[in-house]
Amino acid sequence: MRIKAKSKNGITTVKVMMKHPMMSYIEAKKKGKEANFITYVTAKVEDKKVFEVSTSQFLSKNPYMKFAFKGDFKGKDIEITWTDLKGNTKTGKKKIK
Amino acid sequence: MERRKFLGLGVGALALLAMPKAIFAENYRVKLPDVWKVKNDEKAKEPSLEGTNEAIKMVFGSNKTEEGKVKLKAPDIAENGAVVPISFKAEGAKKIAVFQTANPEATVAIFDVPEIGIPDYSIRIKLQQTGIVTVVAEIDGKLYSANKLVKVTIGGCGG
Repeated sequence: MRIKAKSKNGITTVKVMMKHPMMSYIEAKKKGKEANFITYVTAKVEDKKVFEVSTSQFLSKNPYMKFAFKGDFKGKDIEITWTDLKGNTKTGKKKIK
Repeated sequence: MERRKFLGLGVGALALLAMPKAIFAENYRVKLPDVWKVKNDEKAKEPSLEGTNEAIKMVFGSNKTEEGKVKLKAPDIAENGAVVPISFKAEGAKKIAVFQTANPEATVAIFDVPEIGIPDYSIRIKLQQTGIVTVVAEIDGKLYSANKLVKVTIGGCGG
């Protein structure tokens, strides 16, 4: 997971790229594989929820997301967690610049 | 009196205990499993909003939307349907959902805007063919939406 997070003028902006094939049902059928894709992504800073999205097979491969939240969190860690259809989860952490 | 006070405290303490788990409570995969299965009319010659409208109703309880307040940016023409960048913002929104008419199912993503969250997002989506992208936001109990037709020259689900 690649994360870039920056606090400026009281707003923290985060860009994240998650590594995942995002195999839709159609793509899976064509390739003879099982469908699997990220279904849920959350982010928190100091145990405070800052981002939450439920997702589908129609996000592009290696999903990219950009989001923002109020507050200056310079030096704190942002923690982003995804869950996929098969129940795998992954958490990435990055210090906010 | 004393007993009532004690009980009141107990409930408060329980609520506090339950909070850390409850902060991520809006997983719409669990809450609304059927919204992800709403089909688009794939045989329609023109992009049909039928599936989108059905899905909006399932997510928001109504599909009476007004125009305005939602700003949606999407390309007019996407050369590669596998990676279509879209961004949208809706000041004051508590919930935002993204739909399209180009893929077998209509729903793309549902965002729950946290207390300190700013409803201004960018994502990249797949569009199998030319279609309409719809973003709906709930602001002060009202629904607002924005549509954008995206022409796709190479399909997104072909691999």
